[in-house]
Amino acid sequence: MTGMVETASLDMTPLWITLQVAALTVVLLLIFGAPIAWWLANTRSRYKVAIEAVTALPLVLPPTVLGFYLLLVMGANGAAGQFWTSLTGHPLAFSFAGLVVASCVYSLPFVVQPLQAAFESLDKRSVEAAWTLGAARARTFVQIVIPQIRRGLLTAIVLGFAHTLGEFGVILMVGGNIPGETQVVSIAIYEQVETLNYAHAHKLSAGLLLFSFLVLLLVYGVNRRWHTELKI
Amino acid sequence: MNMSRIHIDARKHRPGFDLDVNLDLPKSGVTVVLGASGSGKTTLLRLIAGLEKPDSGHIKVGNAVWADTDARICRPPQQRRVGMVFQDYALFPHMTVAANVGFGLPRAGREALVADWLRRLHLQEQAQRYPHQLSGGQSQRVALARALATEPDLLLLDEPFSALDTDLRRHLRDQLLEVVADLQQPVLMVTHDLEEARYLANNIGVMVAGRVRRFGPTREVFDDPQTVEVARAMGWRNLLPVHIIEQTTVRGRWGSITLEREPDIDTAWLAIRPEHLRPVTQEVDGLDASVARITELGSIREVLCRLPDGTQLQLHRPWNEPVPAAGSRLRLQVPLQHIRLLSEGLPFGGAHPAKATKGESDAKNSPPKDVSTNP
Repeated sequence: MTGMVETASLDMTPLWITLQVAALTVVLLLIFGAPIAWWLANTRSRYKVAIEAVTALPLVLPPTVLGFYLLLVMGANGAAGQFWTSLTGHPLAFSFAGLVVASCVYSLPFVVQPLQAAFESLDKRSVEAAWTLGAARARTFVQIVIPQIRRGLLTAIVLGFAHTLGEFGVILMVGGNIPGETQVVSIAIYEQVETLNYAHAHKLSAGLLLFSFLVLLLVYGVNRRWHTELKI
Repeated sequence: MNMSRIHIDARKHRPGFDLDVNLDLPKSGVTVVLGASGSGKTTLLRLIAGLEKPDSGHIKVGNAVWADTDARICRPPQQRRVGMVFQDYALFPHMTVAANVGFGLPRAGREALVADWLRRLHLQEQAQRYPHQLSGGQSQRVALARALATEPDLLLLDEPFSALDTDLRRHLRDQLLEVVADLQQPVLMVTHDLEEARYLANNIGVMVAGRVRRFGPTREVFDDPQTVEVARAMGWRNLLPVHIIEQTTVRGRWGSITLEREPDIDTAWLAIRPEHLRPVTQEVDGLDASVARITELGSIREVLCRLPDGTQLQLHRPWNEPVPAAGSRLRLQVPLQHIRLLSEGLPFGGAHPAKATKGESDAKNSPPKDVSTNP
């Protein structure tokens, strides 16, 4: 692949790419996933069950299956791929953008489900009370809804982020292993191990482990403070 | 405030339930809509607040049109000058009392107004507390202050006491009355509690199955329900079906009573309050009955009597007045001035059990079997 020799200094680019993909994925999933979660939490539509099942699919499908279909859709002959190429002039599969799109699909349930649970336990009357007090929908969402669902929101962010950090199969299928573009840390580690370069694999793994641990520590700490501050 | 009347005429269809309300509220005072749970009271409030859209109809408050389905107008809650106190108060759990009260106010002058409302509702000491640190009564006052601070044209109260225990209710009723008495705005409250309604309402509407069946000054509505369905909704327990009207005499399987004057031909029921029935000696006119059960209710004693056909009548007597023991026979005097004549109240005439329009001869030829004749 890269032909990197054992003595070469460790390239931390994969870690950087991973963090970028994960952060972007979480942001996009919050923007697109929150409305889905809101709808699922409030609808009485008979299609709810179907939509719920679809959003949960990435949970149960083997990453290779998901990756295979994503590759078909995002490839040069796929609908999404053609649309992306007509828009930007670049192919979608095996690109950084493709990686983000695939990650969004892969991590969708990890963001939507905690949000849906949070929206379901939200006191709708408080939202309606805000409306009768003259607050526009946007203000109500920011000042009334978000503070009440912040624990669910935090869970969604952390799970979405962590799940994207650890993805492997889907990325291998649609992103390939292009250093500096689509080579994420999990794949880099795998490659280092394959080439018996345990020292580098160890450093990357330890870095990821430490980072994940710190994030979780921070989250549980914040959650605990919120919990003792306010019983909501 | 220059307010004219509030007019509500709205219909809303739900599976297994239809709301069809036509109400004119006076421009001040407390109107209570009384109804059992599921009768559509909360839906009515939600329609007025703009939280639900009527299928058809219009809602006008003063000169403002809040909803008019013919003109395709249905203003969102934000554009209706309405204050709503929800059943469980719906305080914002993450905000202090002061922030809750100030939520609906513009930034400029907010602090002074909040301080004013906290003072008016005796909440100064709780200003920096959070809702979960408040008692039920305090929560209710915060909800009231929050709704009133925006100076609504109409204040809506949804079962404001249902979240509280009985002792607190009595106390808070006084408090609410005190606050509401000072208001310029009209108040519309819904409840299933008769006592609350009687205590707080200037006018009362009785809601049965999605319709307001009777509306009027509280005293009048409590004194004379006029139709049997309203009587049932208002807790009248002693209802005697009328099968035959013979000039001034009304008959049923339970017996007969001669009234002071001829009843309306659509009279289908007699109603009498338990406190107006009186046990008397055999020489006096009355209904023969037997005592089925005696229940002590503190200062009063409830005597359940059974007429010959099985119809039950409740009697309320002072606790220290002797009454015949269970199983013994007695005669009940029914004071004529306390008898209320009720029509069936259904929109379909065919539902009447029997009508005097059948004619007297009919009645004479085939009297009901179990009529016990009075001496």
